[in-house]
Amino acid sequence: MLKKILIANRGEIAVRVINACKEMSIPTLAVYSTADRKSLHVQMADEAICIGDPPPLESYLNIDKIITVAKERGADAIHPGYGFLAENGDFSARCEQEGIVFIGPNSKALRLVGDKVASRETMTKAKIPIIPGMMTKRVEMKEFKEAAEKIGYPVMIKASAGGGGKGMRVIPSPQELEKGIEAGMREAKSAFGDESVYLEKYIEEPRHVEFQVLADNFGNVVHLYERECSIQRRHQKIVEETPSCAVDDELRTKMGKVATTVIKTASYNNAGTVEFLLDKDRNFYFLEVNARIQVEHPITELVTGVDLVKQQIRIASGEKLSLKQEGIEQRGHAIECRIYAEDPENNFFPSAGKILFMKEPSGPGIRHDCGIYSGSEVPVYYDPILSKVITWAETREDARKRMILALSNYVVLGIKTTIGFLSSVMAHPEFAAGNTQTNFIEKNMSDWANRKKGRRFLDEALIASAVASQTKAVTRRSAVSEKAPGPWLTVGKWSIGEV
Amino acid sequence: MEFEFSIEEQTYKLQVDHKDGKYLIKRDGKEFNVDSQPISENCLSLLVDGKAYTVFIAENQGKKYISVQGEQFCIEEAKADSGARSLAESAALKGVPTIASPMPGKVVKILVAEGDRVKKGQGLVIVEAMKMENEIKSGSGAVVKKINFKEGDLVDAAVPIIELELEEEK
Repeated sequence: MLKKILIANRGEIAVRVINACKEMSIPTLAVYSTADRKSLHVQMADEAICIGDPPPLESYLNIDKIITVAKERGADAIHPGYGFLAENGDFSARCEQEGIVFIGPNSKALRLVGDKVASRETMTKAKIPIIPGMMTKRVEMKEFKEAAEKIGYPVMIKASAGGGGKGMRVIPSPQELEKGIEAGMREAKSAFGDESVYLEKYIEEPRHVEFQVLADNFGNVVHLYERECSIQRRHQKIVEETPSCAVDDELRTKMGKVATTVIKTASYNNAGTVEFLLDKDRNFYFLEVNARIQVEHPITELVTGVDLVKQQIRIASGEKLSLKQEGIEQRGHAIECRIYAEDPENNFFPSAGKILFMKEPSGPGIRHDCGIYSGSEVPVYYDPILSKVITWAETREDARKRMILALSNYVVLGIKTTIGFLSSVMAHPEFAAGNTQTNFIEKNMSDWANRKKGRRFLDEALIASAVASQTKAVTRRSAVSEKAPGPWLTVGKWSIGEV
Repeated sequence: MEFEFSIEEQTYKLQVDHKDGKYLIKRDGKEFNVDSQPISENCLSLLVDGKAYTVFIAENQGKKYISVQGEQFCIEEAKADSGARSLAESAALKGVPTIASPMPGKVVKILVAEGDRVKKGQGLVIVEAMKMENEIKSGSGAVVKKINFKEGDLVDAAVPIIELELEEEK
């Protein structure tokens, strides 16, 4: 087993990994930027080392520094979490050279699946269905224009090196292509350090369905069924659930087989996710492999009972997969809502600042994966994810209602969050009916900010505000008279006219 | 006591009478009998005409952040005109529309030049904050009067990046 694990990440995922290590009795080493000294992951780990200034390139993306810290402090493995260096082939190759176990796929497989263009090529050869689009990287605007004409508008710009919606844009017509490519390249460069982008046919009203896969170092591969992640804003997931309402047993078996074939074709090991788009005629297209633990992994853990982070650590330490495909079952239904520091009334603009107070939801079937606490700061430098609420119940309807309850008991004060918005998504009749396509938010939630004008509990909020103000005024008055007597009260007894 | 609160520029007046540990609160012709018990520094238990609400509350820089059953509010005490105004506020008062980022970020691209005529909805500047690019658009037809920053500059929230002059409505 591994001796000490360095967690090259921050926020809720660093906390999640640290907890898994603790349960496995493996010492943990956190790294942090100067903006994160008081972050939760630093408090939770056994050891913590500062690795640089707040900008990611100087800290959480600083490969040399992280490797040096790992060696100095005797960490024999690194867990990269998601984002940052999780899908960076150079980093995983460097770990291999330095004799440090990278808890993730081997660098060759990572490079293949991480390069979305190369993986499309490989998967086409293996007869995996893919979305029509560019098969090679391009840099000249002219070549993008030609490719877009050939594919046919609308087209989608995607970052070759990454996911998470960064660099991704829908281009409805030729006039918007140039601007979109430029912005996509800048975002890709800043998020992944690689500016390459490519174009793909944009499939309208699809569902996003992905399969969780585990593969050991000996060629054993199992899948842990699907997750549907169609509710997205800015092409980034915000609600996920499993099982998918759109997938029946027949389709599930078929897609699961394709997912494991993808993993075998790429000689991929450790945990990974094979993403598909599912169109309304039940055709599915391979999108990409997410070569990391994903934000939404908890829903799979709740329905299958498998701890994916522990599996990652076991596989990385060289253990054989003990799971067999026929032994993995889906039990009940799980939903995840991502709590971001964003303003849903203002186009999901990020909202940094201090969390003045927080109270987390709890109860049967409620899980809360969290990177914040009352009094913590949300820095401007990083992805604004704060936490995730995950509910499990026997049926989808029960899980949905449980989520509404959990969100109504979740308090985060001082910054804007997605809590109220997500609660409205959960309560929406179209969500309840399972009509979840990737344009759900545009289609069903676009008037949400306006509808809030006549919002619930306005009277109660105003009453609470008045009571608080009144109490404060009274306390202040009594404090003045009792504790800080003014000069006229302290001069003693007045005497008039006589000396 | 009387209170005037504002939520997102809308004001609300409340009349509060405190008697025998209970509150009688009037707003908009409605009356509420309120029993309030502090549970902790950030929590009140309200019984409003017998209906129970657990309300969470925190204050920072004159703003009250309140959460009632998952609904969040940011409430400010409406106060008389104060002397000190921020740059953005004074610009807005003078009738000069400005373009500012809602939070600290980096100016990645300026899409217009001084003197340019812009249409409503036209992109003016791209600001990157928390790893996402956000294009800030013009709210109306206007002429770009002044650009206060250049590409690569860091900007604070609510500081005008671009000043506009509105076009006459025709």
